[in-house]
Amino acid sequence: MEISSQQKEAYFTATQFQLVRTRFFANRSAMIAGSILLFMIVISLFAGFLSPYDPTIAGRDKQYENGAPEIPMFWDENGFSLRPFIHAKSKYRGADTNFRWVYKVDTEKRKYLQFFVKGWEYKYFKWSINLPGKKFDFKIPGLTFDTHLFGVDSGGIHIFGTDKPGKDLFSRTLAAIYISLAVGTLGVFISFVLSLIVGGVAGYYGGWIDGIAQMFTDAVRTIPPIPLFMCLAAFAPDTWSSEMRFFFISCLLGFISWPTLARRVRTHLLTERSQEYILAAKLCGASSTHIIIRHLLPSFTSYIIVDLVISFPYMLLSETALSFIGLGLRDPVNSLGVLLQSATRADVLLNYQWYFLPVLVLITLILSFVFVGDGLRDAADPHRNK
Amino acid sequence: MINFIQFTMTRAVMAVFTLLIVSLIVFTLMELVPGTCAERYLAFKNTQGSGITVEDIEAEERRLGLDRPFPVRFGSWIKNIVVDGDFGDSCILRVSINELLKERFFISLAICITALIFSYLIAIPVGIISATTKFRSIDTILKFISYLGIALPNFLVALCIMLFMTVYYGDTMTGLFSEKFQNAPWSVDRVKDFLSRAWLPIFVLGWNATAFALQTVRALILDEHGKLYVMAARARGVSGMSLLWRYPAKHSLGPVINSLGFDLNRIFSALPVVALILVLTEAGALLIESLARSNDQQLAGAIIFLLTATIVFVNFVTDIMLAIIDPRIRKGVMGGD
Repeated sequence: MEISSQQKEAYFTATQFQLVRTRFFANRSAMIAGSILLFMIVISLFAGFLSPYDPTIAGRDKQYENGAPEIPMFWDENGFSLRPFIHAKSKYRGADTNFRWVYKVDTEKRKYLQFFVKGWEYKYFKWSINLPGKKFDFKIPGLTFDTHLFGVDSGGIHIFGTDKPGKDLFSRTLAAIYISLAVGTLGVFISFVLSLIVGGVAGYYGGWIDGIAQMFTDAVRTIPPIPLFMCLAAFAPDTWSSEMRFFFISCLLGFISWPTLARRVRTHLLTERSQEYILAAKLCGASSTHIIIRHLLPSFTSYIIVDLVISFPYMLLSETALSFIGLGLRDPVNSLGVLLQSATRADVLLNYQWYFLPVLVLITLILSFVFVGDGLRDAADPHRNK
Repeated sequence: MINFIQFTMTRAVMAVFTLLIVSLIVFTLMELVPGTCAERYLAFKNTQGSGITVEDIEAEERRLGLDRPFPVRFGSWIKNIVVDGDFGDSCILRVSINELLKERFFISLAICITALIFSYLIAIPVGIISATTKFRSIDTILKFISYLGIALPNFLVALCIMLFMTVYYGDTMTGLFSEKFQNAPWSVDRVKDFLSRAWLPIFVLGWNATAFALQTVRALILDEHGKLYVMAARARGVSGMSLLWRYPAKHSLGPVINSLGFDLNRIFSALPVVALILVLTEAGALLIESLARSNDQQLAGAIIFLLTATIVFVNFVTDIMLAIIDPRIRKGVMGGD
């Protein structure tokens, strides 16, 4: 294939970022995964707007407990309608159902989907901290909204179905994605800071400091993370509020996953330190601050970003595992692990299969993270010639 | 040879040192758990109807040696483990931890190591196929399956298999033994019974590990495949399987051995939750029991210590194996050849 000189010119003058971007965009599976991921992040940010009901117990629908998903449709045997609708359901029990509550679909009655309806209130930028002592408490009321993307004129609509107390699974899933991503982000951030400090000090100073830091990180690395994690999570007393627990679990995730990253930072710093371009900069009389900021940091930001993205799914999985066994987040908070926990009963598989919908969301989320991480790693690798 | 012994000794000293740091971390964690063993024991007694006082707690603390300063307690804990192999008594269950763990720990170990072997038995051939196949689609499919192994939480896989079994075969497949052999002494039949059930945790743990192992093998083979010495060998007329086995595969063996310790670490990590789902009566389940239910720090510490010690030992063995297998390290260690 003939490559024009213009293209060559563009290739040789492109910045590191441009190169990475071009390579990443060329990777189809990573791009698909990236769009899914972006979609997930956006819907989690607008969870309040998109979910028709309050994901906590306050939003339960007493008329529809353990209810099957209701998919909006455009037509039934009574004809076509431009506005999507669902059928009304009525609660029924009698001798023929063994006195269990079942829901009868009334195909004659339609509930039409409404858009931009008023509903439960959700807040953005609300921030309140309760520290010991009244003086340190501070509250930012934030902005309150009550508009939701969709709803129905009467009764409820549950496109993912409802759980045992009648909470809307769709709303819970959205809230759970947000919480899980937030826990992961906070955890990644903490582990990033820790690894930068430990790895940075070890790699920059070298010598005996490096030796001791290595010994310590390696020792932490040998302890199996989930058991250690469980051990630490057991500290959290039951009396803690859900916010406190959330913060604690995120910190733990960060504290446990830093060694791998610290090792990477250190190895990278050690190899880069003796590169010719650093020597050249030194010979030109550059100060160490200049070398660190202008040369060393840019040389490994792409690696660090890639490593952070790669470590993200493991954060999510750890959180899920921990919440799943009951040591992580708990019920008023919706995380994907909490939702998974409710899908573990045998009767769920037999009767209420829609409990597994959040599980599919979790798998999609993790898979897309893995693919994006993989794509980024390939794209950031300068030894890959394309 | 002298050099080799020296190398082994250095590695052994380093392993012991790592273990020491780990035990310090574990012991500190045990100490940080709110409440002491004495309080817990007396609280238990309290529920039985006998009233307790502050003096009772203090007396119990003295009896357990909890009134001594931290370094002394740490020293005696380590000493008991190293010299007598004694982990002390469980806080809640009031029985010797050694008695509790003896059989269970080895069952856990057997399950995990079998899972590790299983994962590499699959990962090595499949990884090589994935790296060298001419058909991109095969590579993509294999890659996707291995990613799925990472993305599916393994307890979920366990759960799905279990539920499936319950619904369609009527047997839950949970536990390590069927009722008949639950408390029977070890015999050939019991081993058979064990194996007929242990495949499930081994499969679940192994699948997840396979996903990681597959990626390692694939990346290594791909890396080596493009190198100049492989090209040179090809130019000399070596081709096909013999090229693969003589050069890239042999070269990739080192890093694979090197990663065994961390693979085992990952399997140990997954073990407790899988054990919880499958109602296995082994160390992993006991760990959850001791942490989530009863806050039994003594027992939890012992289990984490044992798991980590196993990993440190595996790392030590793989280091020695590497020195024997890899000529680059061998020459460095033994000097000359």
